Amino acid sequence: MKPLFQLRYRNHVNGWLLVLPAVFMISLFTHYPIGSNLFHSLFSMGTVTRPEVFIGLENYSYLLDDEIFWKVLTNNLIYSMCTVPFSIAIALGMALLINRNIKGRSLVRMAFFTPTVLPMIAVANIWLFFYTPEYGLFDQIFGIFGGDSHNWLGNPDTSLFCLIVMVIWKESGFFMVFYLAALQQLSPELKEAGLMEGSGRWYYFRRVTFPLLMPTTLFVTVNAVVNSFKLVDHLVIMTKGGPDNASSLLLYYIYENAFSFWDTSYAATLTVVLVLILAIITIIQFVVVEKRIHYQ
Amino acid sequence: MKFREFDAEKFIVTTGAWMLGGIWLLPLVFAFWSAFHPAEFSTNFELFAPLTIDNFVRAWSYAPFPRYLLNTFVLVTLILAAQFVLCTLAAYGFARFDFFGKNVVFALVLLQLMIMPEVLLVENYRTISSMGLLDTIPAIGLPYMASAFGIFLLRQSFKSIPKELVEAAQVEGVSAIGILWKVYIPLAKSTYIAYGLVSVSYHWNNFLWPLVVTSSVNSRPLTVGLAIFGAPESGVDWSIITAATVMTMSPLLVAFILFQRQFVQSFMHSGIK
Amino acid sequence: MSSIILKDVCKSWDSTQVLKNINFECKNGNLLVLLGPSGCGKSTTLRLIAGLEIPTSGIVEIDNRDVSNLPPVKRNISMVFQNYALFPHLTVAENILFGLKARRVPKKEQKKRLKDTADLLGLSDFLGRRPAQLSGGQRQRVALGRSIVAQVSVCLMDEPLSNLDAKLRQEMRQEIRALQQRLKMTMIYVTHDQVEAMTIADKIILMKDGEIEQHGTPEDLYNQPATAFTGNFIGNPPMNILTPDSQIMSAFSYLPRSPDSISAYLLGIRPENVEISEDSGIESSVMTTEYLGADSLIVCRSGEQTITLTVKGKADITAGDFLKLDLKPKHIHLFDRESGMRLEDSAWRKAS
Repeated sequence: MKPLFQLRYRNHVNGWLLVLPAVFMISLFTHYPIGSNLFHSLFSMGTVTRPEVFIGLENYSYLLDDEIFWKVLTNNLIYSMCTVPFSIAIALGMALLINRNIKGRSLVRMAFFTPTVLPMIAVANIWLFFYTPEYGLFDQIFGIFGGDSHNWLGNPDTSLFCLIVMVIWKESGFFMVFYLAALQQLSPELKEAGLMEGSGRWYYFRRVTFPLLMPTTLFVTVNAVVNSFKLVDHLVIMTKGGPDNASSLLLYYIYENAFSFWDTSYAATLTVVLVLILAIITIIQFVVVEKRIHYQ
Repeated sequence: MKFREFDAEKFIVTTGAWMLGGIWLLPLVFAFWSAFHPAEFSTNFELFAPLTIDNFVRAWSYAPFPRYLLNTFVLVTLILAAQFVLCTLAAYGFARFDFFGKNVVFALVLLQLMIMPEVLLVENYRTISSMGLLDTIPAIGLPYMASAFGIFLLRQSFKSIPKELVEAAQVEGVSAIGILWKVYIPLAKSTYIAYGLVSVSYHWNNFLWPLVVTSSVNSRPLTVGLAIFGAPESGVDWSIITAATVMTMSPLLVAFILFQRQFVQSFMHSGIK
Repeated sequence: MSSIILKDVCKSWDSTQVLKNINFECKNGNLLVLLGPSGCGKSTTLRLIAGLEIPTSGIVEIDNRDVSNLPPVKRNISMVFQNYALFPHLTVAENILFGLKARRVPKKEQKKRLKDTADLLGLSDFLGRRPAQLSGGQRQRVALGRSIVAQVSVCLMDEPLSNLDAKLRQEMRQEIRALQQRLKMTMIYVTHDQVEAMTIADKIILMKDGEIEQHGTPEDLYNQPATAFTGNFIGNPPMNILTPDSQIMSAFSYLPRSPDSISAYLLGIRPENVEISEDSGIESSVMTTEYLGADSLIVCRSGEQTITLTVKGKADITAGDFLKLDLKPKHIHLFDRESGMRLEDSAWRKAS
């Protein structure tokens, strides 16, 4: 009996043993903190003299009344809704340009892709200088046309958009690569058939290329949205969320609360919101994927 | 002279692509210009402005860049090595063994694709701190060592390996670990390269989490070092900051230019699901 | 009247010439098959007619109009692709109407043509489906539908049946032939399958290495192969191509005697024409026999030569048997040994 028993359970044991180290590590730094975040958001901030106490949903009611939270959340939505569609549209345009047999193709591709491999911190440093009043590149260009000097990053009306422009520049090349891969998988026979039947470029793009790229667009969109919530490195360098939180984003606000104001229990509460947003994006993605017709 | 209309179109497309490419490179060109010229020329584009490496020399002497570089190098190597081991084992488990609760566990693993460790930085900081690891290089790396992305990619690649190869090895009496080592890993080489490039560039560039858990020169990676160096309150010249910036990004940039094809293909490869 | 004419058409990729001086005419309402082994240039020829490639030199005429430099859409032709080129995200109806919509044909007209086409091909019940939900034969019909719905009189087909299984292929080729005759289409059809070519064609052009080997009716190609290559390529099992040796020369006195001791020609005879004889003929030993049902295939060895023959039904012959094989003069084809060109019957039959 024993050998049979062993044989039957060997797969289970081996499988578990193989995945266990990685699963443990992922749990420790993903699942456990999600739970402990939820837990800590229900407690007050402990100090040396006063231990943390259970306060129920008090942090959440504070959050609902926190104007900065709403400001930051609005900022993040604007930020996502500008960076995502623009960088995707530019990425698709780049991919369509590069997908043709043009001179210097690999050089142009490299130019598009290079910002992707650079650290956000380095990119932020360079762009910070562009936006510098008077000496910066933007003011110099405006100066040529007789414009006044602007404090681009110091002005609450423009600071968020300055970040948006930079992020579009940095991310488009990354998304282009996925479109390029998808375009190369389209059969040239389809294109020829379209050509024979008299479809123009625009008609063919609208009716064939774009719909067939839909899975890629979905993948890229989810990636871009998630990025817009989790990448805030540039804020540390360029604006620190300012002026007056005009360019602050949710994760940066969490970072500020936790490591500048040392209010970790409110930071935990904010993190719960961020995790919820990411969870919603995940669910939407799955619903769309489920609904999507499988072509092949 | 055939298809003249098509040629005109091609010309427009080519010019458009080149112009857009030029615009895209402009910020970098500027960074290099400013890094290699004296401060008075950093906003003053004169073709024959004198070249200098003085900015680099000064940046190098103002801050412990060699140490930062070493830290980043150790960090990236450590993470990659750990990721290869952990992800290979887990991907092998998911790809080849049927075990109780496999699908649920796999779904839980994939959660990390959406909710990355840096999002949970408050609690992860608490964890690292309770381990007594604050301000060490392993502290920066630990949350990333088991990567859902790596497990996913390798699992895909393992699953695409023909069954006959595995069965042939089994018939010859190769053990489960032997099959992993002799069949799966060699055949997934391109996935390892792709994942390796993506991982290295991610962790070379990563900033927020290292910023939070490091507090001294002993563990700070390049990105954090650069941020502290370039902070406005440090009062350093622009040209020197750009020189430091160029220094920070140049190892990756050189690697990218040398292995451009592999880079682009790796990123492509990692996106196809 | 839709005739297609190619005049001195050449095509090169960089320095390699893939087509050399192609000249032919396909008459209105004919079905012309471009036949040949892979890499012979038949698909390139088709793509030149379609306008998907531009000839390096020479002229392509459709309806007495030089279309050499016109883009495909202006040539007034339709094409069926090897892998059908169906759009995976569009339904059958949308696939069929794709071209009409692109050309802004009025909606009412579109509807009528779609109905006619679907009825003709038996696709009416599948119009709402996507290609992935169709069988291979149905996909093939949709591809045909796309080309029929355009209502142009010239249709090009690039190995349209190569993705189907043998039985379906036979049905579809009959159907294509029937459609072509019913709609009076001028059709150029590319295939590497000689059976398909023989059964479907009005005229066949056999190509090899970028050149036309022979242009004629299926009967011409079978009965009067212009080269040893044609003889071997057309017919199944292929024609025996023998190098006459002393045994053959002495056994068959009707063969012309060449001036040199080595004969200057090759001798071709089809397996079904090789006869087993009691007394005269060449000695051979049986290597293998294969029973195919209606007839049997026997492979013999005679000296250095391998000779294949077929006999009706199950032959009472086994490997190792000795046979005398008779080659009757009326079934013999002679080809020049150097060039492979056919020696005209009149020339050598008179001489013997």
